[in-house]
Amino acid sequence: MLARFARVAFDALMQYEVEVGGRRRQVVITREGDGFAVAVDGATKHVDVARIDGNTLSLIVDNVTPADITIAPAAAAGHMTVHVNGTPVSATLNGRRRWDRRDEGGEPDSAPQRLAAPMPGKVVRVLVGVGDTVQARQPVVVVEAMKMENEMRASRAGTVAEVHVREGMSVEAGAPLIVIQ
Amino acid sequence: MKKILIANRGEIAVRVIRACRELAISPIAVYSECDRSALHVRLADEAYAIGPSAPRESYLRIDRIVEVARKSGADGVHPGYGFLAENEDFAAAVGDAGITFIGPTPAAIEAMGNKTAARAAAKRARVPVVPGTEEPLAADVPDRDIATIAARIGYPLLVKAVAGGGGKGMRTVTDPSDLPNAVRAARSEAGAAFGDAAVYFERRLAQPRHIEVQLLADEHGMVLPFVERECSIQRRHQKVVEETPSLAVSPALRRAITSAAAAVAKAVGYTNAGTIEFLVDESGGAFFLEMNTRLQVEHPITEMVTGVDLVRWQIRIARGERLDLDPERLLAPNGHAIECRIYAEDPDHGFLPSPGRIRQLRVPSGPGIRDDSGATAGLDVPIFYDPMISKLVAWAEDRPLAIARMRRALREYLVSGIKTTVPFFRWLLEQPAFVDGRFHTTYLDEILKLRSGRPFVEPTADAEQLAAIGAALDAALSAAATSAAQPASRSSERFSSGWRSQARIEGLRTL
Repeated sequence: MLARFARVAFDALMQYEVEVGGRRRQVVITREGDGFAVAVDGATKHVDVARIDGNTLSLIVDNVTPADITIAPAAAAGHMTVHVNGTPVSATLNGRRRWDRRDEGGEPDSAPQRLAAPMPGKVVRVLVGVGDTVQARQPVVVVEAMKMENEMRASRAGTVAEVHVREGMSVEAGAPLIVIQ
Repeated sequence: MKKILIANRGEIAVRVIRACRELAISPIAVYSECDRSALHVRLADEAYAIGPSAPRESYLRIDRIVEVARKSGADGVHPGYGFLAENEDFAAAVGDAGITFIGPTPAAIEAMGNKTAARAAAKRARVPVVPGTEEPLAADVPDRDIATIAARIGYPLLVKAVAGGGGKGMRTVTDPSDLPNAVRAARSEAGAAFGDAAVYFERRLAQPRHIEVQLLADEHGMVLPFVERECSIQRRHQKVVEETPSLAVSPALRRAITSAAAAVAKAVGYTNAGTIEFLVDESGGAFFLEMNTRLQVEHPITEMVTGVDLVRWQIRIARGERLDLDPERLLAPNGHAIECRIYAEDPDHGFLPSPGRIRQLRVPSGPGIRDDSGATAGLDVPIFYDPMISKLVAWAEDRPLAIARMRRALREYLVSGIKTTVPFFRWLLEQPAFVDGRFHTTYLDEILKLRSGRPFVEPTADAEQLAAIGAALDAALSAAATSAAQPASRSSERFSSGWRSQARIEGLRTL
C-alpha cells in the first residue's frame, strides 16, 4: 500500500521560492525512496525527514548529517525565523519580500525621518512638539517596556513635523511615534 | 510552617515553590492578569489573582498580598527578589498579620535597603565605602544645587536609586550637562520599579570588579559568609554573567571581604539571607558598595559550589532553626560555577526587549547543568516585568571545564518565537578576555560598543542552505497534511495522494 503511494509520489513535485540571507533560492522537492530529493538552485541533496512536532523537523542530509529545524512564523505573511540547530536564520517563503530593519537603510537624507516604537510599551515622556527643531541624537520620546526606559533619539537634525503619541499611551511595536522633516 | 505564600512571579517563584515542596510545605501563588497561565501558578497548591498586570496594581500591592496571605491561612511569606523583597513596610505588614516574613527584620531592611543608610552602617563597622553623597537627594532640590553636589563628588559619577537594585534607576554621567536628564530618568525609573524615587550619587571607580559575599544569618547571632561571587560582566549596570569563585580574589582578599561582610551584617543585627556587594579596584582594594537584604538572582552558583540550598535555609532560619553549617566548607568552593542570565531581548538590535509568545523551548540539561526558569513553550513573556526568562548555570571541576560545559549547554538551548540573549552568550563565552578572566564592570559595555551592532548570529552558508530546505519541506509537508484532511479534488488527486501518504507517515512518526 505504502509502496504504491510512494511510487505515485515520486512523480509529484513541489516548488518554492525561499529568500534567505538576501538571496532568493529555488527549492524543488521530489519524493525519493523513503525521503526526498531537495534541489536548491539546482544542487540536489537527499533529505530524510521526521516531524518532531508542529514546529520542528529533524533532517538527515545525504544519509549522514542531522539537522534540527524549528520554524517560527513571524507576523508578516511568509516571513519566519528558521532555527537551524539552534541558530536563527531569517527566511521568507514564496519570494514575498522580506521585512527587515536592514531594508530601511536606503532612505535618502531628504526623506522624512519616521521614528517608530521598537517594541510594545508605554510612552512615558514626549520631549518635543510639532515645529520644534531637533539636533542629531537628541532624545525625543521615552518608551518604557519591561521596567526599563528607552530613549528614542533623532538620527539627524530637523524639524518635528508630526507627533503621533502622548504621554501615558500604550504603543505596539512599529507604531509611528514622531516624524522629523 | 505549613503554608508559604510566594509574593513574586517568574523563575524565582518557581524556585521557592520547589524549596517548599522539598520541605513538605504547601506553596501558594499570587498572580496578575497577564500571569494567569504562568508556570508558578500551575505548580502551586493555591493561586490567587491580585490585580491588573502593571506591578503597582498587583505584585507591589502590599494590602492585597497580605489579605491573600491571611485568607489562605499562610504562616510564611517569601518575597523572592525585586518587587516587595526589600520593602520594610511589606515585611512589617506581614509580621503585623501574625505571619512570618521569610527574610530579615523590617529594621534591618530599612537600615541596609536604604543605600545611603547602609553606607553609614558599613563605615561604623570600619569597612571602606565608595566615595559618594551621605544623604539622598530630596525631590525638590533645584538642578543648580544638584550640580554643585555632583561637582563635589567628581565625574564620572553614578546616579543611583536609594531603594535600588538590579541596575534599575541607575545612570552613569560623564558630562555635567547630562546630569539633570539622568537624575530625572533615574528618579522616574526608581519610582516605577521600587515605589521610591529618591536617588544619590556615587563616584565611579576606574575599571573595578564587582565582587559580592553571600551571607546566611540565623536568629541566634550566627552569621556565616560564603565564598565570593564574581559579577563584573554587566551590561548597563545589569549583571549578565556571574561566576564563583573569582579569579581576581586571593585567599587573603577572600578572608578580608568575607569577614568585613560578616561584620557589617552583625552591626545591624541582620538575619536570614543577604548579600554584601564590594567594588574591588585594580590594586585589590575592596570598597563596600551596598547590601541586598534578600535572596540574589545569582544564588544558584553559590549553591552549586557549596552544596547548600540557600532557599531551604531561608525557610529554616525563619522557623527559628540554628545554622549548623561548617563555616570552612562555605569558604572552600568545590569546583566552579557560571550563570548566564537568559533575557527576552534582541541582542542584534541593541538588546531591545523582545516580549511575545514562546513557540518552542528546548532547555539544555545533562551533567553539571541547571536551568532555573519560569518559562514554558506557549507562554507569553509580558511587557510589564523584568525580561529575564531563565538562569542557565553550569558547574564543573574547574573554570575551563565549566566554560566548556556552558558553551555546550548554550548550543543545546533553543527558544523560538521571541528573541533571546542566547546567541550573545555563545559569542561572549568565546571572547579571550572572558576566557582569561581579564574583565571589569564596564568591560562588556566597551566591547559591545566596539562591535558597533554587528550581529551576534551570522549564519554560515550551510545553515542558510539548510534553512531554505527546512522552510520548503515544512511548507510542503504542512500542505500535504492539509490536503490529506480534505477530500482531494479530481484534478489534483494524483499529485496530492502521494503527499497524503507522506502526511500519514509523518502522522505515524509524530505518534
